[in-house]
Amino acid sequence: MNKEVNLEVDLGPLHLKNPIMPASGTFDIKCTLLNEKQLNKLGAIVPKSIAFKKREGNPGPRICETDCGLLNAVGVPSKGVEYFVKEELPLLEKANNIIIVSLVGNRIEDFCNLAEYLNKIKAISALEINLSCPNLNNGMPFGVNKEKLYELIFNIKRNTSKPIIAKLSPNVSDIKEMALIAKNAGADILTIANTLMGMAIDIDKHIPKLGNKIGGLSGPAIRPIVVRMIWEVAQSVDIPIIGVGGIYSAEDAIEMILAGASAVQIGSANFINPYVMLEAIEGIRQYLINKRYNSIKEIVGLVKV
Amino acid sequence: MKTKDISSPIMVKGNLVENINLNTSYYKMRIKAPQITRKAKPGQFVVLSTWKTKDPFLKRPFSFYKIEPNTGTFDILYKVIGKGTQIMANSKVGDLVELIGPLGNGFNIPDNINNIAVVARGIGIAPLMPLILESKRREIGVYAFLSAQTDNLFLYNNEIELISKKVFYTTDDGSKGARGIVTNFLEKVLREEVIDVVYVCGSKRLTRHIRDLQRKYNFLAFVSLEEHMACGIGACKGCVHKTKNGYRRVCKEGPVFPVEELIFNE
Repeated sequence: MNKEVNLEVDLGPLHLKNPIMPASGTFDIKCTLLNEKQLNKLGAIVPKSIAFKKREGNPGPRICETDCGLLNAVGVPSKGVEYFVKEELPLLEKANNIIIVSLVGNRIEDFCNLAEYLNKIKAISALEINLSCPNLNNGMPFGVNKEKLYELIFNIKRNTSKPIIAKLSPNVSDIKEMALIAKNAGADILTIANTLMGMAIDIDKHIPKLGNKIGGLSGPAIRPIVVRMIWEVAQSVDIPIIGVGGIYSAEDAIEMILAGASAVQIGSANFINPYVMLEAIEGIRQYLINKRYNSIKEIVGLVKV
Repeated sequence: MKTKDISSPIMVKGNLVENINLNTSYYKMRIKAPQITRKAKPGQFVVLSTWKTKDPFLKRPFSFYKIEPNTGTFDILYKVIGKGTQIMANSKVGDLVELIGPLGNGFNIPDNINNIAVVARGIGIAPLMPLILESKRREIGVYAFLSAQTDNLFLYNNEIELISKKVFYTTDDGSKGARGIVTNFLEKVLREEVIDVVYVCGSKRLTRHIRDLQRKYNFLAFVSLEEHMACGIGACKGCVHKTKNGYRRVCKEGPVFPVEELIFNE
């Protein structure tokens, strides 16, 4: 049973030692139970999205639990890119060789400024673009507007030589179309997906449970939706996919890989079990051994339809 | 990366050793988890689950009500309000409890003080109890100001009476002590005695009253806040409260905050 299996994955230009990484916003290098050795076991680290300048985030309440899930309207608080580079990046650099930095902004210039600022920093392996941020022009997230999505990715690409990961919004009628637009604009990799917009109401007080009124749903409740989206996009767009949404175990991660994801991110489950990412890596290894595969690459998109 | 210091939280499985229904929907749970108990300080908390399901999803936060390093156990008080606490109420002795802790900053008791006041509404007494016991140990006088909807919702007040200099009660229905606001009693005491620090928990309204009194009588005041939490360790930024210095995480920079730093009306 001690057979070695290969967990290494290629995401376009990125080479990861295994397919497991945290989802942005669920991991903080300064607040983790994992030690340096454990962090180094992850395929990559994705710190919480950073903005060019400091942003406060939304008023509370910012989170509320729903059935099999979590609704949040944290609002991407960030201490800004300078703080990130000075205070967090040195810690991240020691913890893992693949650092994927997630970017937020409300204008195309914000993203371009960030991309340019980070371009020279060797320790950063790729930039993940959080397309669920509202665009200041019309208040709609970049990821739900075809023209804005193209324009944003196209312009970021012009300001960096690093691989671009487009983190698509699931709040669209046709994810395949958005995936193709992101690819044509220059995205090297896709992250599918992000939280689904939702709302919860306090029936005693007759008010929304979130300070921001609406928020993004994550957790096991959304996983089947994401699995379907990954499968649809994998059929039609030929760049690598990182799957994210509701993974709670190795089995859930394997499901997304079978649907077509080359790697996966684990989000809300980190809140319940800070060791879930390490357990998922071991679980995937065992699965491959039991099923007599040599490499995880053999099962990417393997679902028979 | 900084080496983990001794105060860093850990995740462990504890054992449920006692789960008592105190009255109506209030319970006390005793959990054996020596590694956490050893590190715990008054005012800190744990997040826990007694379930392995995805629904309920998150662990729930509870303050330490009693910390017993000798037996390796700690107690929490809880009220059944939803799915998680209902499952807890049905949990049995011997059940496993998954824990992350100790979390948060805890209460600071300054050196060389004579008297403190604790002001609690209902189950808000929970985080204040270890503080009362620690004050007693350090021979600091405790004045307790307890408020509840009705008489039977005072939890373990007899024990508090035994170790406090004086206990004042108010209830909404007048079934015990006075009707009205318990801070009226506090104001009387503040006029007659030197109270060095006031600690409050259980109600935003009470905290605002403390703030008003603080402006008038100038004393140190700290509040332990409660907020919905996802991770409990500072990672998710979900449990913030507005302060004069911007949003601060209740789980990390709190749950104990100087009263004057908080902004309540957002």
